[in-house]
Amino acid sequence: MKPEALAASSAYIQTVKAFALVIAVILASFYLLSAVLLPIIISLTLYALLQPFTNYLVRHNVNHSLAIILMLILMLAFSVIAISIALPQLFAQVAILKNKLPFILEKLEQLITQSSQDLGAFMGMDLNVSNLMTSALSQSSSVGNSLLVGASEQVMAITMLLILVPLLTYFMLKDFKSLRNRLLNWLPNSRFELGWLIYHRVTRQLQAYTRGVMIQSTVMAIVASIGFSLVGLEIPVLLGVLTGLLNLIPYIGPLISMVLASLVAATMTPFDPSLIYLGIAVVAVAQIIDNVVVIPYVIAGAVDLHPVLVIVGLIIFGSLFGTIGVILAIPALATAKIIFSNLYSDIYNASQTA
Amino acid sequence: MTNFFWTNFSKQTTSEVEIITSYWQQTPLFKHIPKRHVANLAENMHLRSYQQDEWVFRSGDQGAGAIMVLEGEIRISARQTTLAELETGDFFGEIALAENDKRTADALCVKPCRLAFFLKQDLEEWIDVEPRLGNVFLMNLASTLAQRLHIANQLLSQQTHNET
Repeated sequence: MKPEALAASSAYIQTVKAFALVIAVILASFYLLSAVLLPIIISLTLYALLQPFTNYLVRHNVNHSLAIILMLILMLAFSVIAISIALPQLFAQVAILKNKLPFILEKLEQLITQSSQDLGAFMGMDLNVSNLMTSALSQSSSVGNSLLVGASEQVMAITMLLILVPLLTYFMLKDFKSLRNRLLNWLPNSRFELGWLIYHRVTRQLQAYTRGVMIQSTVMAIVASIGFSLVGLEIPVLLGVLTGLLNLIPYIGPLISMVLASLVAATMTPFDPSLIYLGIAVVAVAQIIDNVVVIPYVIAGAVDLHPVLVIVGLIIFGSLFGTIGVILAIPALATAKIIFSNLYSDIYNASQTA
Repeated sequence: MTNFFWTNFSKQTTSEVEIITSYWQQTPLFKHIPKRHVANLAENMHLRSYQQDEWVFRSGDQGAGAIMVLEGEIRISARQTTLAELETGDFFGEIALAENDKRTADALCVKPCRLAFFLKQDLEEWIDVEPRLGNVFLMNLASTLAQRLHIANQLLSQQTHNET
């Protein structure tokens, strides 16, 4: 091997070791904080969103603590208004969906039985999936029961969130910087500047990503809601909001929205098969708007990851951490990429100058 | 009685902040910037201690900010040539404030040193809050860098003049 190639590969091995250490530290602190991880992540997101506004107030000579409290009150008022307008609508649509659910499941069963018979006839054998379906359906109803049992625990958890999140957000807006400075001060002299640079790049990317994704889901929810109601689908707002949220999951999310829309269309009376295609078309058009307008202007450059890495990462994170894992997969992968590439360039450079 | 849990035990003492503030105020970087703002920045600067013969950075390292010498002595060198000897009140590494790029020289502690780091991160956060003063600072930074470029050009032309 050439000497440069040798240096590069030994730097690579060193980087993998350093990277493993950093990731282990991050995972260990996540584990320690696991009980309050969700409120911390929500508060950090709110911190990233609210900080520009408090900065604006401070710039105009408003006292820092006062600016923070003002922002929190404004945010609370805004969400109360938004929820009180949107929630009755959503609840009404959820009620419709609840009534529809048995029909949707029945339709799904019919569809699957029919297609399995067709497939069986085509392949010349008897595929009996109805047993499988029955067991799956009974399982899903037991999931529904356990959801009801868990409801009281859910109420507790939500109450805790409602108390913890504003409190944490307030202290983050107030003290986050000094806390962060103290933590990063623990870095050894030789890694001090590198640590800050990585921090700088990671936070910049995460902030851009968070802001971008929030704008993106809102735009998608609005576009899809309008589209669904234009084509005459039932529960358009609920479907639209779900489409906006599912848009957080790249590649797979829109497919799920398409399935949801076509299921709702399939169970409408009178049954109109063209609605299925229209529902899918709305999601597709929303996707096109997303790719042509929203992503280039809002998210472009926020993360730079290979599509294969994104899909594999989504599946792995999803299987490890469930729904939260799917939402956090992209920012986590982007962060890991920055940490790794910065560590590598530093270690490689050190091996050249030593 | 001070509450141990709520006091920031790593926070600089008032006199230390005053010293850092006055050192930075005397640099061309903080020309025309009110003392109160320099003091606010100085309060969040990162203090670090270095031993004798310890590298602050090597050429090619990624730089995160400008550095003020509070105590000790720093030797700046490139390719074994000493470019400058810095003492208390001198600053170096300001290129990193303008650009996230690699250090262009080596910095070695000739004596045990105490340094205050003014990071690009802190600068950007400050500019978010005080964009007008941020502009003043950036103009100061530009003229400081231009001056250093000017000196480098002179040295270069002298060198080529001597060679011919």
